[in-house]
Parts: sequence; structure tokens; C-alpha cells
Amino acid sequence: MEPIVEVTHLGKNFRRGLEEIHVLSNLSLQVPQGEFLALMGPSGSGKTTLLNLIAGLDSPTQGSIRVGKELISAMGESRLAKWRTRHVGFVFQFYHLLPVLTAYENVELPLLLLPLTYSERKKQVLTALDLVGLSDRLSHRPGQLSGGQQQRVGIARAIVTDPTLIVADEPTGDLDSKSAEEILELLVILKGALNKTILMVTHDPRAANRAERCLHLEKGQLVNETYQNFNVHTQAVSH
Amino acid sequence: MEGIAERIDSFLVPLVVTPGDAIRFTLVEWLGFFVLFTGFAFAGWAWFYFRFILRNLLRNWLRTSLTAMATMVLVLVVTLVWTILLFLSNATSEKAKDLKAIITEKWQIPSQMPFSYEADLSEGAPSKNGDFRVDTTKDSMTWQFYGGTVDPAKRTRENIVFFFCMDPNKLMTVNDPTIDSLMASIPIPATYPYRKEETGEMVEIKSLNLTDAQKKDLEKVKNAVQKGQITSMMDGLDEMAPEELVAMRKAILLTLGDKRKVVVGRERLLALNKRIGETFKLTSLNYKDIDLEFEVAGVFPDGRYNQSAVMHRDYLNDAMDDYNRRNPGKRHPLSDKSLNLVWIRVPDTASFQKVEGQIAISPKFQSPAVKCETASSGVASFLDAYRDLLWGLRWILVPFILLTMSLIISVAISISVRERRKEMAILKVLGFAPGQILIVVLGEAVIVGILSGFLGSFSTYYLINEVIGGVKFPIAFFPAFMIPFEALWWGPTIGAITALSGSIFPSYNACRIKVSEVFARIS
Ligand SMILES: Nc1ncnc2c1ncn2[C@@H]1O[C@H](COP(=O)(O)OP(=O)(O)OP(=O)(O)O)[C@@H](O)[C@H]1O
Ligand SMILES: [Mg+2]
Repeated sequence: MEPIVEVTHLGKNFRRGLEEIHVLSNLSLQVPQGEFLALMGPSGSGKTTLLNLIAGLDSPTQGSIRVGKELISAMGESRLAKWRTRHVGFVFQFYHLLPVLTAYENVELPLLLLPLTYSERKKQVLTALDLVGLSDRLSHRPGQLSGGQQQRVGIARAIVTDPTLIVADEPTGDLDSKSAEEILELLVILKGALNKTILMVTHDPRAANRAERCLHLEKGQLVNETYQNFNVHTQAVSH
Repeated sequence: MEGIAERIDSFLVPLVVTPGDAIRFTLVEWLGFFVLFTGFAFAGWAWFYFRFILRNLLRNWLRTSLTAMATMVLVLVVTLVWTILLFLSNATSEKAKDLKAIITEKWQIPSQMPFSYEADLSEGAPSKNGDFRVDTTKDSMTWQFYGGTVDPAKRTRENIVFFFCMDPNKLMTVNDPTIDSLMASIPIPATYPYRKEETGEMVEIKSLNLTDAQKKDLEKVKNAVQKGQITSMMDGLDEMAPEELVAMRKAILLTLGDKRKVVVGRERLLALNKRIGETFKLTSLNYKDIDLEFEVAGVFPDGRYNQSAVMHRDYLNDAMDDYNRRNPGKRHPLSDKSLNLVWIRVPDTASFQKVEGQIAISPKFQSPAVKCETASSGVASFLDAYRDLLWGLRWILVPFILLTMSLIISVAISISVRERRKEMAILKVLGFAPGQILIVVLGEAVIVGILSGFLGSFSTYYLINEVIGGVKFPIAFFPAFMIPFEALWWGPTIGAITALSGSIFPSYNACRIKVSEVFARIS
């Protein structure tokens, strides 16, 4: 089967003043449809940069990225924006909900960019919030919700457009272990029930443990790859 | 040098001084915006934008209200300045056709000429064949000023009346006898819009109960103004309704029949606490010992003459003669100084120059000498004394205020954009295009600008016109400047434009935000 994400010989440089920083170089990667993939690696290794590139928030310096049938590395900024609306759902470490909007309105936000009627939007928003278990918090503002609840609103917002890809950058990084556990559970359920492809960056081995596959990034290169039995594998190494 | 300055002036002045012509949006245009906006709102998710923007504004209501307050104060100042400048620029702009000229004493202000000048000056002092002769039946007017108080013991603004003494016919001249008899036949009393009851009480006339023929006649009266069958040496005839024209004519006929009868403006009458038909006695302030008794025959239609009063010039002149007869050997000190102004109307500039020359060379006006100027240049030369002040108002104060306003708004918006860089970035991540983010940021500024501008205009209009009674700016002989009705649109226009110009930079920055930079933790 065709992989849903195909990254080929990817390179990304940033320019800071005169200095050119090579963040990613010659990185290739394939993600099959419906996989829950974790990305790990030390701080500054380029995890967020890679995730942003795959999600179409930035353009690569070299190489190509294909998502579904589309070569997103060749798209311009405004086409990327349109593409993101339909194909990518984002989950952030700090939730990034808009504080003036209610939970319902936050989840509705990406739908406003699609040609949907009010009642179609409403149906989708309610389904998404129901899925994350927040049907009773529709009119709460982010400030009135706990961290775990805010992150669940964030996940509802990410799935409401029924995207091809869900990207999550340290989604549990700001949560206590119990809330983190709930969020991970939710992601696993999403993957199972909706067959969503999920890319998650994390520092937490327990979080990575819930993924099917875990990639290690170091200085812009993939250095290691572990599968479902990640647990067993690391144990084997440590013995 | 002068020429260039003038050309620059004529180019810039419409922008700065007469917003009426240049940057004012008309009522229709504003309605257009409104329809467009609501159209958008119903068409799609502009309604969402509107709510979103509004909530963002309310989130930081302190900053929002400070911005709004600054805008309102500045709109107030700009409106005051523009009101004065607009009025003066209208008063000094020359009409090419049917221009009016003022003849006054040459060397002295206030002008005091002997009444014996009247006959010659009214004609434009023609001395030989081929000279231009002003038609004194309709194209000239003399002004003498008579002021007095109804309560000499306690003079206040309320109990003082200042009369223009003139030929009442020049208030409204009917040049066609058929129109005159037509007007006489329409049953509208001189006291319109009031009717005098048997008890002496005045009741407002609700409806006139005219026959169809009489309504047709009213129509003809209105047309007569356009056709020049009815003319006036005063301004504002074309603002009057036909009913008011008829009533005015009847009031004039009354004053012609009895020189004690006068026409007084609505507000002046109210201040005096007098009603139509009542009499009052004035103790003169400028004509010492010439105290006169008056009867109110009619009121001016609501508008520019609300504070004015007009009496028959014969009343003053006869009283003066009478005084001199009663006091032989001791003439009244103002005997040969009672003619203050002569107005004439000429068809074009060439005739004006002719009349100006005729008066200048005439031997009849030696002591005192007189001069003839167009009305607008008369006002203009008077204003010359204030030139620096007006220049400062126009070129320093107004631009400075507008600049300050834009700065305040742009600083406020900049702060709020910077505070919300992350939120803008989130919108971008979700797929909002730069243009849509621009709408959010510009929208905030423009909504605050328009609303506070409108509020500023409205409260200025109400405060100045209704509460204070005009801008009391002591310049020329204009008692007070009323804020024109169209000024209600200055505020929102100024507000919108300064908000736009103030927020362009911050909003451009906002929509250029790079998501990867906002979210990357640069380590
Ligand atoms: N927009 C940018 N401009 C310049 N340098 C950048 C930019 N974004 C990232 N970098 C640099 O690229 C490198 C990788 O950054 P990135 O955010 O991808 O790391 P990361 O693996 O996500 O780290 P962390 O675990 O701390 O989130 C860092 O050295 C960072 O300074
Ligand atoms: Mg990162």
C-alpha cells in the first residue's frame, strides 16, 4: 500500500543573520495510512521543524514531501493554507485555544473556512466534542477549563475537519501524568476508531510507548527506529 | 509666489478645510457600506468575524475605551475647527454671478455714514449716461442698527434685541404683481405656523385645510422663487417652504402698513418671552434717548434668522427727525451717522468694477469717504486680521490632531497585535489566509474608529448646538458658529480613515507572521 506521507531527501536550513543553520539534512521517511508514529530526540534536534514541514507550515530547503496525492513541498503559501484546512489537524503542547471563544466556537473555527452550512457545522462540532467527552462544556471559555480539558478541546478542533493527518507536538508536555494518560488514550482510540494517521513529537517515553512506531532524531538525522514492541527492544538494549 | 501658494491652497484646502466636498462620505455612501456589510454578514461568516472582533475589543475594554475616548475628543476638536473654517471659506468664496457688494465707510469701523448718502449709494452712484445703475426696487438694501433692552435696569443677553433697520420689502421682494395678489389670496396668516385665538393665545396650526386650487397656487409661489419673480437681498430664501414665503409676505405687508410692527426670529422671541401680536418697549443702547415701542407681526421661518430681528428703517429715521425737532439746537449725536451699510447686487464682476469706480470718483462721498467691496472680499479683508490664527488652525492644528489620532490608534493596535501574535499564528495554522487575518485586525480598528467617531460627532453636535448654542469664536461679525448637520458624518469618516491609516502597519505585520517562528523555541 502507498504510504500516506512520503518524505524524500529532505533538508531544511535556517538563516540567522549571516549564519546558516542546517537543521535537517537528507532525511527520508514513509508513514503508512493509519499509523500512530512517535518522534523522539533531544531538544534542538529538529523534531518540531520536521513536523511543521510535513504539516505544511513551512517549506523545505531541499527534497520533497508528499502527503496523500499532493506534493506539498511544491505549494505556495496560500495554497498550503487551504490544504492545511482540509488535510491537517494540529494539537499543540500549550493547547493554543483562542481565549475569547467558547469551546464550541474554538472547535468550529477551522470549519468556517469550509463551504458548510450552519447546521452541518453544528453537527460536526457536536460529534467532535462528544468524541473527546466534552459535550457538557460547549459554552465554557478556555479559562474555565482544566489543562486536560483544554487539550481535549484542542484534539476536537484537530479532528473536526476529518483531516488526513493529525500532528501533535508534545501534546502531553504540559499535563500531569493522569491527564496525559487520558489524552494518549484518546489518541489511541482516534487512531483505532477513525483509522487516523497520527504524528506525535514527544519527550516522554511512556507517551512514545503508546505509538506503533517510534523514530529517533538526532542533529537532523533519523538515527534509530523501533516498532510496537518498543518496550521489549529498549529492555533488550539495556540488558 | 502668491500665485503658487494660491494654487497649492486650492488643491489642499478641499482636503483639509472643507471636508464637506472632499473626504465626507454622504449618507447614501454610508448606507451603501452598511448594506454591503450586512450583506456579507448574512452571506457567510462575516458575522463570525464581527463577533470575534467585538469580543477581542471587549476583552481589553480599558484599552478600547481609552482609544475610543481619544478619538472622540479629537473628533470634537476637529469638528469645531472645521465648522469655523468651512463657514468662513463659504463666506469668502466669490460668486461669479449675482454678486453682492457692501458699501461702508472707508476709514472707520464701525462704519457710520449720513443717511443722506442712501439714495445715491443705493443706485451705485451713477453720474452720466452709460454708468451702471442698480435697480433699487430689488437690488439694494440699507442697514442701520438699532439695539435696545426691554429691561434697562438689568441688561442680560435675554432681554436685548438688536434690530436690522431696513426696507422690509428687501427681506423678500415680489417683482410680479400677479404673484403678490396670488399670495394674498392664500389663507395663511402672517403668524404661521401659529394662529391667534380670540383669547389672544397662540395655537400651533396643525393643518392648513387648503383647497386644491390654493395648493396649486402655493406651487406657483415656490416656482416664482426659481423664476426670479420673488427675490431677496438676504440669504436663505430658497430654503423656505412656500407656506413660509406666503406668511413672510403677509408679515412684511403688515410692517409696511404700520412701521411699529416688526419681524423677529423664533429664539429671540422666546428669550424675550413675547408672542406674536404682543408689544414691547425698548430702551435703546446705541441711540440714546430714542426709545421705541414695537409690535411683533411675524416670525422668521426656523433657521438662520432665529436670533435676528428686522424693523422698518422709517421708524428709526422718523424718530430721529422727531428728536431733532423737539430739541432745537441740540441735534442727536448720531444724526449724520445712522447709515451703517449699503448692500447692492450686481450681475457680474464687470458691473461690480464699474460701480466701484463710480463710487470712488463721485464727489458726493467726501466726508466721510466710502468704499465698495464684494461681500466675500469684505468678509475676507475683515478676516485678514486673523490670517495667522486661521492658517495655524488649518495647517497646524488639524493635521497635528489627525496625526496624533492615527498614532494613538496605531500604538493601541500594535500593542494588541503583539499581545496576540500567538493567536494570529493559530489562525494561520488552521488555514486562515493573510487577508482574513487582516480583516480581524483592521476590523478592530475600524469598528472602534467608526463607532467612537460617530459618538464623538453626535455628542459634539448635541453639546455645541443644543446645549451651548454654537461655537462662540469671536471672529468677524458672526455671533456663533453652528455645527452643520453634515458634520455628523465627519466623525465616522475621520474615525474610519485615521483608524485605517493607523492600523495598516500593525495589521500588515500581523498577517505576515511566520508560524514557524512564533512556535519555534529558538534554543
Ligand atoms: N524559524 C527558525 N529560525 C531560525 N532557527 C530555527 C527556527 N526554527 C527552528 N530553528 C532552529 O532549528 C533547530 C531545531 O529546532 P526545533 O524546534 O525543530 O527543535 P526540537 O527538536 O523541536 O526541540 P525541542 O525538543 O526543544 O522542541 C534549533 O536549533 C532551532 O534554534
Ligand atoms: Mg519542538
